[in-house]
Amino acid sequence: MHRAIPHGDTRAWGGAQGLAYGGCQVHDEGDLVRRATQGDQQAFAQLYEAHFDRIYRYVSLKIGDKAEAEDMTQQVFVNALHSISSFKWQGKPFTAWLFRIAHNQVVDYLRRKKKQPATLLNESLPNGDSNPQAIVELSLDIERLSRATRRLTEAQREVISLRFAGGLSIIEVARIMGKSQGAIKALQHSAIVALRKVLLVRDNEKVETLS
Amino acid sequence: MRRSRPFPDILEECLELVLVKGATVEECLRRYPEHAAELKPLLEMATATKKATAVQPSPEFRERARQQFYAALRQMPAQKKRAGFSWGWQPRWATVVAVVLALLLVSSGTVAAASSSMPDQPLYSVKRASEQAQLALTPSPLHKAELYARLADRRVIEILYLANKSKPEQVQRTTQSLDKHLARIADLATTHKMAAGEARAPMPMPTETSTLGKTAPSSVEAVPLEKAARIAYEQRAELRAVVMYQATHHPARLKAALVSASPQARLALLRAIAVSETGYEKALRSLEDQP
Repeated sequence: MHRAIPHGDTRAWGGAQGLAYGGCQVHDEGDLVRRATQGDQQAFAQLYEAHFDRIYRYVSLKIGDKAEAEDMTQQVFVNALHSISSFKWQGKPFTAWLFRIAHNQVVDYLRRKKKQPATLLNESLPNGDSNPQAIVELSLDIERLSRATRRLTEAQREVISLRFAGGLSIIEVARIMGKSQGAIKALQHSAIVALRKVLLVRDNEKVETLS
Repeated sequence: MRRSRPFPDILEECLELVLVKGATVEECLRRYPEHAAELKPLLEMATATKKATAVQPSPEFRERARQQFYAALRQMPAQKKRAGFSWGWQPRWATVVAVVLALLLVSSGTVAAASSSMPDQPLYSVKRASEQAQLALTPSPLHKAELYARLADRRVIEILYLANKSKPEQVQRTTQSLDKHLARIADLATTHKMAAGEARAPMPMPTETSTLGKTAPSSVEAVPLEKAARIAYEQRAELRAVVMYQATHHPARLKAALVSASPQARLALLRAIAVSETGYEKALRSLEDQP
């Protein structure tokens, strides 16, 4: 019934699947999911509690609007509840399935609201650091970050959202995006570089406007 | 050779150290001086990003969402019976199994048997006495804190068991024990932090195997180390990982038990949830590295 989560693949940045420990007895997520698919309410409730915050953060970053993010987070879990009976546990992670639901809802929302931003290609970003200190000093909040990520490519934005807001490990992101771990690490690198450049540009524009 | 590692791998390793293990950006830069200029702005950007995304749902929204979700959950069809397993063999084999279990219990000792007992069972007092003995035999504050973390894990399992059996008084008593265990983790971590003082070790050596299949050599070779301090640092990081894991999972498990709890047990569970949330938060804060 209880099983210690093994070391290794479960590492994540503060996510619910977080960190392993030999002496810590916890429910195996696979067991919870199997029970949830059989209609075990308590098992699904545990999955809900374990994933609620990370889905909220993921949606918040993608949407950049608190009220919309709250509505959408609720809807993600209600949709997951209605679809759980069709979930097939074959080693495919539940987390990937849940984030896929969230991703699809975000895409639908942005399409409906016609808020899908134009992607800023890396070529259009400035080279070099016009103000190296700016990034250190910037006070970044989720709304500003959300706006900045809209200037990244779709894949870069997804990696930032899953890694930082969703708190997922490289392995989990690789599974969700259907890419190798090496590809995800490379995307993560380019995404952080691009994000920094976007924020530096915006900081400089702000300084110019003020002066 | 480390220098042949792709830069994204090095960046990921540093992100792991800074964002998960609590290392500073400067510690990472010392590990990879040849990449310091490139790493520094990216690690700062990543730290700012992580901080910005650490938004918490408001308590009002959390409660509203929970009520809506649990209402939807209650409308789910009842649990299906598991197929392929029958208890039809029980009358004859149950006796055999009981005898074998009894023999095993006798041969392995009462203490071993008590280790899995629950508060409403006869051997529970043996279990708690055994825990006290373990604590008395553990002199190191850090090891003792680890032991308390394991005991907190047990208490949560017991609370879930008792709530399921609708025994609110015993849930309350076990919750008090959980509260004490978590407070002791915080106290002991603080004691250890003070004792460690300036002997704080640099970052642990990398253990991750590179994509080339070779284990990265340590840049710490160039830095004089105190082995004991480094071991303590790693133990502390591991303990923090344990407590962080429990802090994420245990309050969630207790909340999930609210679904099927009786009204009496529900009140006791709510208290247990509050105790676990504040207790783990305090323990985690005490395990944060000194600036």
